[in-house]
Amino acid sequence: MNRLVRGDVMSQEYASAPAGAHAGTQATATGTAHDGAAHTGASVVSFESVTKNYGNLRAVDGLSLNLWPGETVALLGPNGAGKSTSLDMLLALRKPTGGRIRMFGSDPYHAIKSGRVGAMLQSGGLMPEVTVRELVTLVAGLHPRPIPVETTLKRAGIAGFADQRVDRLSGGQTQRVRFALAIAGDSELIVLDEPTTAMDVETRRLFWANMKVEVAEGRTLLFATHYLEEADQAADRILVINRGRLLADGTPAEIKARAGAKRLSFRLDPVDEPFLLGLPGLVNLEVRHDLVQIQSTDSDATLYALLDAGYRPREIEVGSLGLEQAFLAITAEDDRANGDAHTGEAV
Amino acid sequence: MQGTLLLTKAEIIRLRRNRRFLIFTIALPVVLYLIFAKQKATAYGVSFEAFYMVGMASFGAFSGAFNNNTIRISQERKDGWIRQLRLTPLPANAYVVAKIISSMVTTVPSIVIVLLLGRFYAGVHLEAWKWVAIGVTIWLGTLIFAALAVAVGYTFNPDSVQPVALVIYFFFVIFGGLWFPLSGGLKKFGEFTPTYQVVRISTDVVGSGAVSVAAVVGIAVWLVIFLSLATVAVRATAETV
Repeated sequence: MNRLVRGDVMSQEYASAPAGAHAGTQATATGTAHDGAAHTGASVVSFESVTKNYGNLRAVDGLSLNLWPGETVALLGPNGAGKSTSLDMLLALRKPTGGRIRMFGSDPYHAIKSGRVGAMLQSGGLMPEVTVRELVTLVAGLHPRPIPVETTLKRAGIAGFADQRVDRLSGGQTQRVRFALAIAGDSELIVLDEPTTAMDVETRRLFWANMKVEVAEGRTLLFATHYLEEADQAADRILVINRGRLLADGTPAEIKARAGAKRLSFRLDPVDEPFLLGLPGLVNLEVRHDLVQIQSTDSDATLYALLDAGYRPREIEVGSLGLEQAFLAITAEDDRANGDAHTGEAV
Repeated sequence: MQGTLLLTKAEIIRLRRNRRFLIFTIALPVVLYLIFAKQKATAYGVSFEAFYMVGMASFGAFSGAFNNNTIRISQERKDGWIRQLRLTPLPANAYVVAKIISSMVTTVPSIVIVLLLGRFYAGVHLEAWKWVAIGVTIWLGTLIFAALAVAVGYTFNPDSVQPVALVIYFFFVIFGGLWFPLSGGLKKFGEFTPTYQVVRISTDVVGSGAVSVAAVVGIAVWLVIFLSLATVAVRATAETV
């Protein structure tokens, strides 16, 4: 079968049907929204109440989730949220303190040793003193059914410097070589930890274009990222984790809705706070003098209720929250609930 | 196993490109031998030419298996190359096995070249089986030093591994009597080193042909010790590599 032709046909399907397959209409913090009836067949990855302690520090705290075949899933969380630890456990580099991780129905170690996973870690290094082509050839040869080396080089955009030595590449080039190693084995599951770090904007765009071809071939992709717009554009499902727990699990649209996806602001004199707090759809309220700012899941309903009650606000502005604000709102809420003032300084 | 061999092949390609490796394992022993071999003396009951041939062959093999591997293993552990390999279908021990096999392959030329120099430059004459026996003895010594290199490389970070490796290296070179034969108190002390034992078994073969049981037992003990240390060091890093 001609891979590229198949990829082209399927990438349209990928583009048009990201979210529809999922069961959840409302994102939940438990990760159960995506389980069960909507998915036929077995999950690619499952975490069952997974915990990981480093001494007294609990890095991952009862994480439960499933990844389904063909999904592109983004893992989002602030630094120290437990993303890397979770990926390390998934890739059998660390053992969970409690709970169970399954991959393709077996333990992660055996799934990896059978060549069903391709991964790119931030902490993954390359062998120096060999050329890019030699390295890709080596790693391809370790997998049972590799993609032809020249194809991998082309897809990763590294054919142009395939004969250079690995230790003489720039940061962005190195990152693309790492990506090549993750796809060289034609694996069913691809795991990428912050794949586009050190890439410039143009390279990043190319990277995701190539990635869509990979995913269109039916692969499952899990990636952690710093760039929220990347999660928004590339993923059909986002997992938000903070303090080692899953806070939200849904499509980018659902995640935004959960945080109150619309921002509504107006001036009102006098301000009746108890009334405003009772408005439908309201998620968050901020009042400064006569200026009112509201985050709402349904800005229309919020505004109509306000007008119906006889108020005549001035300077009405309605805007959308980006994923970034949604993300910050979700993690900040969690941090407040845990009595910690230090919030979303980094993602 | 096929994957391990592919990795071994890549390791050998790397070593062949590494100038430092070639200088220490081949060039240096050859040059030293050409300069110092021809002396009217004896050591350990054999001619100096024969002793120095054994010493330099062991020196090259030891350098090749130890010096180079410690620093690389430590660096590759830090860089995450070992982690990357763990994400492939390679068996867990493949990295270490490939390092040891590639060392044993790449030290062969250095041993052979020095032995050839001994025969055709310095005129050492031995029965055929003795050539084979000393070649194999020194070659098997490589295994011991490669195991030690694994232990050291897995234990120390790149910042500290270089001085540590250097100290161990010169300790075994000097107190093993690779550069000059040991005598007196130095010998009493150095007799315990694996490098001395490799040289001693070889010179015993050259001389009487009768090998001291103590040296063979000693070398086996060192092999067990270094392999155990290597295993412990590799296991200790299983969660952090």
